[in-house]
Amino acid sequence: MKLLLIVPVLLLTGCLSTPVQRSFPDVPEELKVACPDLMLLEPTTKLSEVVSVVAKNYGQYQECQIKVDTWIEWYKTQKEIFESVK
Amino acid sequence: MFLLSFVPDAILHLVVVGILFTGVGIYVLSFFTRFIPPLIPYSGIARIVGTVLIVGGIYFYGSYSTEMSWRNKVAELEEQVKVAEAKSKTANVEIQTVYRDKVKVVKETQVVIQERIKEVEKRIDSQCTIDTEVINILNEAAKRKVK
Repeated sequence: MKLLLIVPVLLLTGCLSTPVQRSFPDVPEELKVACPDLMLLEPTTKLSEVVSVVAKNYGQYQECQIKVDTWIEWYKTQKEIFESVK
Repeated sequence: MFLLSFVPDAILHLVVVGILFTGVGIYVLSFFTRFIPPLIPYSGIARIVGTVLIVGGIYFYGSYSTEMSWRNKVAELEEQVKVAEAKSKTANVEIQTVYRDKVKVVKETQVVIQERIKEVEKRIDSQCTIDTEVINILNEAAKRKVK
């Protein structure tokens, strides 16, 4: 009787399983890291210190901009590859 | 039909063709039973069994062809997926390389800019004094408001 239970289980697994498995494409590790917060200024009266921090923040923004651009590029490329399978 | 996928193609083909030819064989033999007196009563039954097996065999052959066509499609798709996965990995490597190169340029530029600031540090500090309110405004602008 217990063995008979296996039959419907086997038949029902046919409804669940798909013959071709596709895995989600990997993303480069660097892109998984979130952009850091902008640097804040220490109390100062020196313009050079302010300019230094502002310039570093510009750099940080540019890195983040590259990251977003790369994400867009990654998505477009992977989508094209994904859709090439028909 | 799902369970059929576990049966190898050759065995499936053998079974289907076996049923079909057994049916044809029994059907043909049923015409010769009239020459063998003890088998005469079974002539009709043999013809019915033969017909059923032929019809069943043809049906199974159709199912077999459909099954084979699906298996071919699955194999084709698996191949395409394999190629796509390889392409995806290659694309990732290329994207990663371009990303690293671009970030490297930004970091190098930052080093140059910080050096330039140091070079003119004394000059710009002597010409301008920053009000503390400027620091507060800039910090307020740089702070992340939404997490």
